[in-house]
Amino acid sequence: MGSEEESTVREPLDLIRLSLDERIYVKLRHDRELRGKLHAYDQHLNMILGDVEEIVTTVEIDDETYEEIVRTTRRMVPFLFVRGDGVILVSPPLRTA
Amino acid sequence: MSSNNPSQLLPSELIDRCIGSKIWVIMKGDKELVGTLRGFDVYVNMVLEDVTEYEITAEGRRITKLDQILLNGNNIAILVPGGSPDPE
Amino acid sequence: MSGAAEKASTTKTPADFLKSIRGRPVVVKLNSGVDYRGILACLDGYMNIAMEQTEEYVNGQLKNKYGDAFIRGNNVLYISTSKRTLAEGA
Repeated sequence: MGSEEESTVREPLDLIRLSLDERIYVKLRHDRELRGKLHAYDQHLNMILGDVEEIVTTVEIDDETYEEIVRTTRRMVPFLFVRGDGVILVSPPLRTA
Repeated sequence: MSSNNPSQLLPSELIDRCIGSKIWVIMKGDKELVGTLRGFDVYVNMVLEDVTEYEITAEGRRITKLDQILLNGNNIAILVPGGSPDPE
Repeated sequence: MSGAAEKASTTKTPADFLKSIRGRPVVVKLNSGVDYRGILACLDGYMNIAMEQTEEYVNGQLKNKYGDAFIRGNNVLYISTSKRTLAEGA
């Protein structure tokens, strides 16, 4: 692996370039996660994703027991634009060597 | 006028004089670090050695020891030459 | 030896540090307090980071593993060489 110039990771954004047309995981600020197919991105990490599953995690405190209640809400979005400044982490699908 | 004042010490010169000695870094938010300054750049990103990191959490103060770090200058609030007055 | 030369030998700028840690195990701490441990593949001037064999720790607990991970630089508090110890203060 890595004999072709195109498949090497020289700078961090190469990792994103190599994930084009693949399903990726995106961790966003405010406990939001996305899984979807990467159609396009730019240097700010603005991204266009297709067939996206959005997962929102909220933590509420129970009024009586003061226990933390963790809720995850999932929904499907056919096509969306992600603004890069909200992105924390992007993970491509596992590539085998 | 003030730029001609030879006694004026530029902030970056002050930091430069700290290279090789202890420095106390107070971040925006509840974090502080103490370590030996090895170098810095125009963004005041800093290389620190033998670092003690203090995080104020709900459970109390969490202390982390680190060998060598590159600290992002973006969230630095205050620099104090000479290190923290706290006893270790 | 002059004092300046002495100083140059001990000075390590952020650029020097980044050159020295490529391919090594690192801990990346974000402003949110989340830690990522893994092998540093590469990074750029924005502190964007590409890591391999990445483990995500929240409050010291392992929460996730990623084969490869891209971390956007604006979230990074520090990049540390991996060896470290933890202590809970009073």
